[in-house]
Amino acid sequence: MNSDLSSYFPIALQFILAAGFVGLTMFVTHVVGPNLRTRKKLKPFESGINPSGNARQPFAIKYFLTAILFVLFDVEVIFLYPWAINYRELGVYGILTMVIFLGLLLSGFFYIIRKGALDWDQ
Amino acid sequence: MNVLLTLSIAATLALFFGVLRLKNLATPVIVIGLLASLVFNAMEWNNTTSIFNDMMLYNNFTVAFASVGLFITLILVLFYSELSAKHEFHLPEILAIMLFGTVGGIVLLSFRNMVMLFLGIEILSLSYYVLAGIRKQNVYSNEASLKYFLMGAFSSGFLLMGIALIYGVTASLNLNEIAGYVNNAKGIVPPYFLVGVLLILSALLFKVAAAPFHFWTPDVYDGAPTLITALMSSVGKLYSFGAFVLLFNSCFIPLIADWEVILWIAALLSMSVGNITALYQKSVKRMLAYSSIAHAGYMLLALVGINNLTSGSVLFYALAYALASVVSFVVLYIVRDKKGSYDIASFNGLAQKNRMLAVVFTISMLSLTGIPLTAGFFGKFYIFNSALQSGYYWLTAFAVINSFIGAYYYLKPVVAMFASKSDEEITMPALSNSLLILLGILIILIGALPGFISGVI
Repeated sequence: MNSDLSSYFPIALQFILAAGFVGLTMFVTHVVGPNLRTRKKLKPFESGINPSGNARQPFAIKYFLTAILFVLFDVEVIFLYPWAINYRELGVYGILTMVIFLGLLLSGFFYIIRKGALDWDQ
Repeated sequence: MNVLLTLSIAATLALFFGVLRLKNLATPVIVIGLLASLVFNAMEWNNTTSIFNDMMLYNNFTVAFASVGLFITLILVLFYSELSAKHEFHLPEILAIMLFGTVGGIVLLSFRNMVMLFLGIEILSLSYYVLAGIRKQNVYSNEASLKYFLMGAFSSGFLLMGIALIYGVTASLNLNEIAGYVNNAKGIVPPYFLVGVLLILSALLFKVAAAPFHFWTPDVYDGAPTLITALMSSVGKLYSFGAFVLLFNSCFIPLIADWEVILWIAALLSMSVGNITALYQKSVKRMLAYSSIAHAGYMLLALVGINNLTSGSVLFYALAYALASVVSFVVLYIVRDKKGSYDIASFNGLAQKNRMLAVVFTISMLSLTGIPLTAGFFGKFYIFNSALQSGYYWLTAFAVINSFIGAYYYLKPVVAMFASKSDEEITMPALSNSLLILLGILIILIGALPGFISGVI
């Protein structure tokens, strides 16, 4: 078994290349590009809307909860795609597995609803 | 495997009973689940089974540690559902998370693969992060949860880095293959393997709350709800030490010369930092938090000179410490519920008003000190014996001196209970009352007949 540090040389090379690329492009753009600073250009980009107020202020936990739950269910849906593509090959076994998976997912969804996590008015 | 399944199913059922307006069923389901898993666990005795292609191995070591963990969790669930239920809107969730934490703990006691070590630590810690912050309206509880989470995330990072380095050297995550590599290397391994061991060591020292990785302990133990602190300090320590012993016993013994120095410095620091800082505490809860650091130090003593006595002595000590710490935190909870403060002064005159509470609390304090005829004495005895077998004479002497320091602050609330007067009545619910008596009797019984437990593994 080769456990020399030298076997990690490609990884180190990768690191050096990645860091080098970032450093080089940043250096080149700063040197080559025109250096025109205006107030509008230095403002944070907010999809064209003028930013207002301080970003570090507390906001309702409801947004956070909804976002997290969205991510959860959104990611779970990704598992449906490979199943849809291999639907014929997987056959009955695939259907049973997915029924269990979706059943667990649905019961989680049921739990969230009953717990009132998506109740916006509370 | 049955144990893990039973626990998970019981916890999930409890969650659903909680939202289905069947809240009263949640506690019975949890209790039945714990009892059933105790039975399944006992059935695995002398019946070594490998789970998921050597990912886990359920052997006698696991059974012994897990039965202590399950028993203490059961006791705490009963206490929680009787004492705290009236304050608690989320009782089913809390009990369910306690069970999920136990699942993580049992993974930690049976892992045979580094991935399972990481998974176990994460399941256990994530449950504890949530439990520490379960009082959502209380700032101290929030602080405890956030601090524990941030520090715990860093220590998990250390653990992963260590695992990655060891994988880089041995090309395997399986403990048997890592052990094979270490044995073949005959004490000469690449330096980055040692760095890996060091990183894993620091992550585990963090989890058992040993100095110099103890800084989270006082704040987290102080801020978390008292009964949750009891859980973290008793079974949390048990599981983490189980993982510690399991990993070092199976893999890193040939490299002992490289890590024992670090371990004995950690043991020395934990004992002195824990005991000396505890001397200055006015709040009993904080004092017990520092004492838990000191106890981690005593338990590390058994690991320093790792030998065939280590797992038995760590198990015995963890059981003795868990019993005493559960009793002391529960009594503290009751006293604080009545008096509204964790100060030593809250204990004034307790002996006059509720003799049973005072006597049980005294027994637990004596056990934490290590007075003969309590479980704590034989816990220390076996630990010191294990360290002496490996030739750590002066370290053991230092630990004995530290036990004497401990006696001073453990007896402070005891003196307050018996010496002063008070006129407030303290009444106890029936179940908790009998459970406390049971625990008190157990501490004395184990102290009088230590052979029952010590010969097990």
